[in-house]
Amino acid sequence: MRALLPAAARAAIIPAIALLAAAVCAGSAADIAEPRDLWTGPMYGQTPRTLGGAQVVDVAAVEVLLAARPLLLDVGPAHRKPANFPMDRPWLPTHRSIPGAIWMPGAGTAPMDAGREESFYRRIGELTRGDKTKPIVVFCRPDCWGSWNAGKRLVTRGYTGVRWFPAGIVGWQDKHATAEVEPDAGWSAESAQ
Amino acid sequence: MRIARIWRFAFRLALLCAAPAAMVLASDRAGAEAANNPERASRWKAISEQIFGDRKIEPSAALIRLDAPQRAEDAALVPVTLTMPDKDKIRSVYLVIDDNPSPLAAHVTFGPAADPSSMQLRVRVDTYTNMHAVAETTDGRLFGTVAFVKASGGCSAPAGATDEEAMAGMGEMRMRFAQGADAGKPTQATLMIRHPNFNGMQMNQVTRNYTPVRFIDKVSVSYGDSKIFDLATDISLSTNPVIAFSFLPVGKGPIRVVTSDSNGGRWEQSFDVPATTN
Repeated sequence: MRALLPAAARAAIIPAIALLAAAVCAGSAADIAEPRDLWTGPMYGQTPRTLGGAQVVDVAAVEVLLAARPLLLDVGPAHRKPANFPMDRPWLPTHRSIPGAIWMPGAGTAPMDAGREESFYRRIGELTRGDKTKPIVVFCRPDCWGSWNAGKRLVTRGYTGVRWFPAGIVGWQDKHATAEVEPDAGWSAESAQ
Repeated sequence: MRIARIWRFAFRLALLCAAPAAMVLASDRAGAEAANNPERASRWKAISEQIFGDRKIEPSAALIRLDAPQRAEDAALVPVTLTMPDKDKIRSVYLVIDDNPSPLAAHVTFGPAADPSSMQLRVRVDTYTNMHAVAETTDGRLFGTVAFVKASGGCSAPAGATDEEAMAGMGEMRMRFAQGADAGKPTQATLMIRHPNFNGMQMNQVTRNYTPVRFIDKVSVSYGDSKIFDLATDISLSTNPVIAFSFLPVGKGPIRVVTSDSNGGRWEQSFDVPATTN
């Protein structure tokens, strides 16, 4: 069928598809309003450009901020081993992050069990030594509501140095080395309950 | 047919939408990490010990070449070409994507009807990673090569707009033969298999549940009674796998493909070899 289509017809169809696609893409690039509270929809999808009470930062801003020794908080999800994954094949999940980052997988999930949310705040309290002004860079990947939510949680709890880094590890790895990190022991022990 | 068209359209749309993001990434300066830092080397050691035990892997540019885009346009569809110039010495080839959670993407074992000089696959890449290709020679030695690939997010990218759509026509296969092949010479062919290859890491955006894993585990291709290759694979293979290979004009009858998946699916299809290539 397709092969029989005259080249001229195809030449006309391709720009039409491109136009349509451009329209659809442009539609999806429209600004997303900040939800009033945590985002409880799908975790993967377009996020707002802003996070009230937090500063939005890019790679260059994070580079500058490193001198102030911020808490680098990676909330990207951990790989889940598929239930019926074959025994005889290697399963070796790894998570690469900004060197020195604390990885708290799933800390941006919402809704979250109240006890687990408290353990998140407790762990952040420990990591910042109770200093609510300490710079905290919260990130995962682009189009990840997890980092937005985790930042929102911190802002709501009165942290004033929150930086949301939406490009996250994808933006970072393009210019800098990454390091393998393990889930934060203080957080994962709690979340395993 | 209608579903096929919708699927193709959705796929192109996804590519077009992804293009601006790819361009942003492409504008960076050089300076990303090199392929050979100590941490990556130690990960490769751990992976290769699991796959190859204590067998030694000798570096070789003569026996194995790995071509992958340095910067992939779509991390869920990264084309990889394995080239084995000294084809008569090759028994099998392994493709490893170091930083994927299931690093062994493919193991291809060649049969008497194969021309093992080249093989192409499309894979998912989770994060910027080293890829290794390891060729096993007929005398049991291993020769490896490495490439660094910049792509990320390929493991969580949904297979289709909905799971049902991604699964439509599952197991359907097509084969395209290279035109103008000379009689008596190896012929190139491309096998396309319709299968979502769900890796268990893709979230259904409506239900917010992870789509259960369902992936192709074996593809076996024969020319008459003569084996071309067996592919053992899992979740690193892209949705709707495309496998390009070469075969020798030694078989009689059609080319037969048997595909199976992790959930007991089994599909079989035969393809007549065009007369000019016989």
